[in-house]
Amino acid sequence: MLELRNVWKSFEQRHGRKDVLRGINVRLRRGDHLGILGRNGAGKSTLVRVLAGVEAPTRGSIRREMLMSWPLGGGYGIQSSLTGRNNARFIARLYGMSLSQTEVFVEDFSELGRYFDEPVKYYSSGMRSRLMMALSFAVDFDGYLVDEALSTGDARFANKCLTMFEERRKNAAVIMISHNLNHVRRYCRTAAVLRNGILEFYEDVDEAIAAYQGL
Amino acid sequence: MSIEIPRREAMGGARAQIQVISALFMREMLTRFGTSRIGYVWLMAEPMILGTMISLLHSLSGKDLPNGLPTFLFYALGYTPFLMFRSIVNRGSGAVTNNISLLFHNRITLLDTMIARNLMEMLVCFTVCLLFIVMGMVVFHEVPHQPALLLAGWFMSALLAHGLAMVIGSAQVMMEWVEHLVHPFTYLLLPISAPFYMLDMLPQGTREALLWNPLVSIHELNRWAMFGDRINPYYDIPYVLAWILGLNLLGMAGLRVARPRLSLSD
Repeated sequence: MLELRNVWKSFEQRHGRKDVLRGINVRLRRGDHLGILGRNGAGKSTLVRVLAGVEAPTRGSIRREMLMSWPLGGGYGIQSSLTGRNNARFIARLYGMSLSQTEVFVEDFSELGRYFDEPVKYYSSGMRSRLMMALSFAVDFDGYLVDEALSTGDARFANKCLTMFEERRKNAAVIMISHNLNHVRRYCRTAAVLRNGILEFYEDVDEAIAAYQGL
Repeated sequence: MSIEIPRREAMGGARAQIQVISALFMREMLTRFGTSRIGYVWLMAEPMILGTMISLLHSLSGKDLPNGLPTFLFYALGYTPFLMFRSIVNRGSGAVTNNISLLFHNRITLLDTMIARNLMEMLVCFTVCLLFIVMGMVVFHEVPHQPALLLAGWFMSALLAHGLAMVIGSAQVMMEWVEHLVHPFTYLLLPISAPFYMLDMLPQGTREALLWNPLVSIHELNRWAMFGDRINPYYDIPYVLAWILGLNLLGMAGLRVARPRLSLSD
């Protein structure tokens, strides 16, 4: 379970304090698929960082009883002087997975060919993001955090990402923070709108989307 | 989908932390080894060259040491553990602010990144010290007097540095200017840490003043463990252990205080 209780996040700025999150309450269990919609500047990125656990709330408490993913497709902790294979091994070691199985999975999924054994710094941006996606899908998290990016690359690769996401989310929780209303409609069972630093929950996804579009 | 999807093994507490640290350690090692086949040579090269140059300078300066102590070895084994102390403090204290993006991985704590980095640094310097010891055995026919004690001495330097690195690293989160003081501090520590001279050579007042610095005790102990009774050492091990305990506890508390203050938006 992941639970946020009255979570506030404030930043000290030159012209005073800015409260970006002003009392977020949310509880997420395995199998819950929650979409969060919000306009630019509503505090989505801040919420992502708090949910990911990289930044602590200024006030309030977080109970974390499941292993949440890093924002899907993000290159956090990726060492660009190392090869794709070495980075895959790092993720495997970090999350206690079989090295060989993880290597095979990432090599196959990322479609990097011989570049899998080249340092990541020589990758094109497309290759990089394919590797990131493969690494994100390599770990069976209890909960997946999606910050906009759910897929990458051409239509075929993007489809592969979506298929894999379907597979991974079956038994997991999902928090999807997105502008993409189609994705939210397709993958989320509940949705909330982030406005004025708080989450407004709606009866169903369509209602949340309507409220978001009315903003 | 035809590919087999990897699964995590369930595990708890200590085993999980060891796993995280070893993952970070391997990553650190591969990064520093570089991609070339002789990467590990370069990893050793820096402390080795520094140690050799300093020791050569001293042994060529013509000043003989008492009791027929081998000059080169005396300086090489005095300087390398200090070098380790210095690099752990310098590099380790940066581990807090340089590794924020790693914290997107929920399993990784600041302490893990710190331990992985400092362990790496320690093992590099231990290897260089061992190379010097082997060289000493072959060239000067010097066998360490108390090898286990010598190892314990090096280990104490590493623990002392680890604690200090954590203290400085977490202080940096709250006061950015601390960063600029680290290098001058470790540099100025050299002359008052007795890596190049023995307390026995100094007047009593100076000796007592220097013994406030725990590194001095460690360096004196190292020399005795290496050269035996040709040295008349002055050290206080309980005092050193108290420093190690104090700095490590303070450092770990510091990391806990620093963690919620870390922000990507700065």
